[in-house]
Amino acid sequence: MSRQTAVTRRWTPVRRATPIAAAALAAAMLLSSCAATPAAGGNSTEKNGGTLVYLDAELSSNTQLQSSGTWQDSAYIQNIGDRLIFRDPETLELKPWIAESWEISDDGLVYEFSIRDGVTYSDGTDLDAASVKRNLEWQAYGDAEKGIPANNWFPKVESVESDDAEQTVTVTLAAPSAPFLAVLSYWRTALAADATIDASIEKQSQISGFIGSGPFVVESETYGKEIVFTKRDGYAWAPPGVENQGEAYLDEIVVLPVTEDSVRLGSLRSGEADLIRYVQPSEEKTLEDAGLTVVGVQGIGNANVWDVRQSAPFLDDINVRKALQVGIDREQIVDDLYTDNWDAASSIITPGSIGYRDQSEKLAYNPEESNRLLDEAGWTERNADGIREKNGEPLSILTYVDVYDSTAKPLFQLVQWQLKQIGIDLEIKETDYASYVTTLEDPNVGVRRNGWPEADPLRLTVNYHSAYTNSLNLPTPDPKLDALLTDHITAIDPDERAAILGELQDYVVDQAYLLPILNDTQVFAYQPHIRDFEWGAEARPWFYNTWTEKK
Amino acid sequence: MTSLPFVLRRLGHSLLVIALTYVFVYAVLFFLPGDPVASRINNPQNPIPADQAGAILEYYNLDKASIEQFWISVTRLFSGDLGYSLATGRPVADLIQQGLGDTVALAAVALLFTIVLALGVALGAVFAPFAPLRKLFAVLPVLALSTPGFLIGLLLLQVFAYQLGWFSSIRDEGVKSLLLPAITLAVGVNAPIAQVLIQGLRKAYGEPFVTVLRAQGVPEYRIITGHVIKNGSIPAVTLLGLTIGDLLAGSVIAEAIFSRAGLGFVTEQAVRAQDGPVVQAIVMIVAIVFTLVNLVTDLVYPLIDPRIRTAPKPVAVTVAPTQKAAVS
Repeated sequence: MSRQTAVTRRWTPVRRATPIAAAALAAAMLLSSCAATPAAGGNSTEKNGGTLVYLDAELSSNTQLQSSGTWQDSAYIQNIGDRLIFRDPETLELKPWIAESWEISDDGLVYEFSIRDGVTYSDGTDLDAASVKRNLEWQAYGDAEKGIPANNWFPKVESVESDDAEQTVTVTLAAPSAPFLAVLSYWRTALAADATIDASIEKQSQISGFIGSGPFVVESETYGKEIVFTKRDGYAWAPPGVENQGEAYLDEIVVLPVTEDSVRLGSLRSGEADLIRYVQPSEEKTLEDAGLTVVGVQGIGNANVWDVRQSAPFLDDINVRKALQVGIDREQIVDDLYTDNWDAASSIITPGSIGYRDQSEKLAYNPEESNRLLDEAGWTERNADGIREKNGEPLSILTYVDVYDSTAKPLFQLVQWQLKQIGIDLEIKETDYASYVTTLEDPNVGVRRNGWPEADPLRLTVNYHSAYTNSLNLPTPDPKLDALLTDHITAIDPDERAAILGELQDYVVDQAYLLPILNDTQVFAYQPHIRDFEWGAEARPWFYNTWTEKK
Repeated sequence: MTSLPFVLRRLGHSLLVIALTYVFVYAVLFFLPGDPVASRINNPQNPIPADQAGAILEYYNLDKASIEQFWISVTRLFSGDLGYSLATGRPVADLIQQGLGDTVALAAVALLFTIVLALGVALGAVFAPFAPLRKLFAVLPVLALSTPGFLIGLLLLQVFAYQLGWFSSIRDEGVKSLLLPAITLAVGVNAPIAQVLIQGLRKAYGEPFVTVLRAQGVPEYRIITGHVIKNGSIPAVTLLGLTIGDLLAGSVIAEAIFSRAGLGFVTEQAVRAQDGPVVQAIVMIVAIVFTLVNLVTDLVYPLIDPRIRTAPKPVAVTVAPTQKAAVS
């Protein structure tokens, strides 16, 4: 049996309001570099019971596993669906869960999973080998009749067989896939009951249509008003090694979508809510001063980057791209616009991701180098606004403010100001949420924000390989880039894969194909009576161990 | 007397308006860039490769010609099927049903507050005993008009929910939950009605019939309540009919602030996602409501003002630009 190498988790310190708590935190950091929250104590009897009122900034829109992409839906699924594999959020190791063990053939093509006994879905049906087989086929092939695509993270699957007597499932791949186990640990591969798989895409798109085996179940949902999750009675199949092996502590989680920032903050401060997501950096200190805990959650996966799209004018010139790369002062962005909960990206993937290689030196702010590169590229003239020109054309690059990030606008404006210092005009436009994706298909859009915490750097391949979605809009495929993006997938030896990923990061940064900006951070604020608020490796909340002192 | 042919003709016009609205909205939504399915396929958080995207487009009939898609939409409509939300997978009928119930309740309470507020302010502005007090009342609509609705909502929340704790800012407390959003809506909506009502009452109060009534010894309060209000409120009643649209539009803000999932909220979400079937259905409902309200308003005039009922034939009235400005 092979296992992925454990890597140290990069995490953002939990910031507490009091000096005593800060000292305790420092001690906890010394003891463990990867604890999710400080140990809160309490035995299971005092932990049991209570309701957590969670105000999310967005409402559930689509929980269909293969086609969903919204952050909030992924967070809900994570708490109601179990996966075959467990990614330990502390060590980042891949561990058994519903698959109590597995074996991989030497050629990396055949995976045999032994399925845990006694697991059931919340509708009472068995989560057995046959169900796992059906789930894997559903993920691998989709369900075209219902408009459900295949999971684009899945490798090409030749066959899935189950042995009902032995309770094993054997998956045969067409080619080795190093990320396969990580993919099976991700929320998108949460195991679903037959009732869900049999349902229409419309029913699957609603969270009440997802029937899983997780520690919480959907009790009710009223569109736009609330989702009520209750703990799953009799839940007894937590990943081995997790302290709690029984039911979740909270009786109930009530999720209310409150899109208005000030209402979320006011409701938290007045005590009506226990936990909120999305806090503007400028509000963090106010909340801390009010005795609330503010925490910035980061996970493994892709950093927030700007895709540099070579279909746009001037960006097929590597000197222009590299001038952008070192013309952005990431430290100033963090210092001026954000807080200690945020930090600058140091590569195209986040620290802790497999194969992470620090690129900070290459990304260091160096306007002199930017100017040299642009002069070398022939952008020597300047117009009245100080923007460089060549053959009468100003060096102007079009972008749109990212609609998925509530802090994006000032960030874009600051980068615009920074680039103007080296004579580049970043033309910022805005569009609405609905039109954003389509608008950014315009080949003249030069840079586009991308990158979120995910289970594996496989996302790099999905996004940037010319045969997948080619988000860089390269005029002709770059064979070296494509080879690296392919090779890290088939390299089943973790060390070999890490080396390829390291080379991939070097190459992408050297070519300035992507502009790393920040490490993605989700900021939560919660009441002091909420204890053990934790999250998974990909920064989604994991309420299984969370409890409240307020019953 | 309102004749049956007149009613039938108005109904015919209304149906034509509704049909043209349907075509227009369909065309706008079709030609605007972006829709939930395109967003799903090209979502940078989960881009779906072209070979997989085909199945999705086929399922939603988006691979078909525009005219064919339109025909499918129309035939579904005539079979009573409003379809499903492309963004959320929920039946459009369910979304409308849920949202409409919430919004009608909100709008009804807001309308009540609107009438009370407008009447109170107008009576104060015309009949208050002191000139400065009358001026103060007359200024209130201007103040209400120039205050954004979201600000009123947030102030109400700050005082009555966060500070005093009398209301929940996020939980549904039944009828109680209607009060703050209804006040938010009513403050903005009542202002033009109050302004028109002030003008109407002033004008009616200066009419000769008031002098005659006074000469007959009718008490002043009876003159005001029994005659002046009735005579001076006709333009305001017209405006009150149009207020339905303001209430629906205003509910988008009020429902967002007070976390209510009414029709305004459903509309905002659907427009934000360019969720064609939902937007289409909501526009149709609004078109139908508007048409009905206009029809009812026309039919109510004769009941308020007998002169309209006894007029030998309809007379075209030209509204002066200043009057138009006052009611717009």
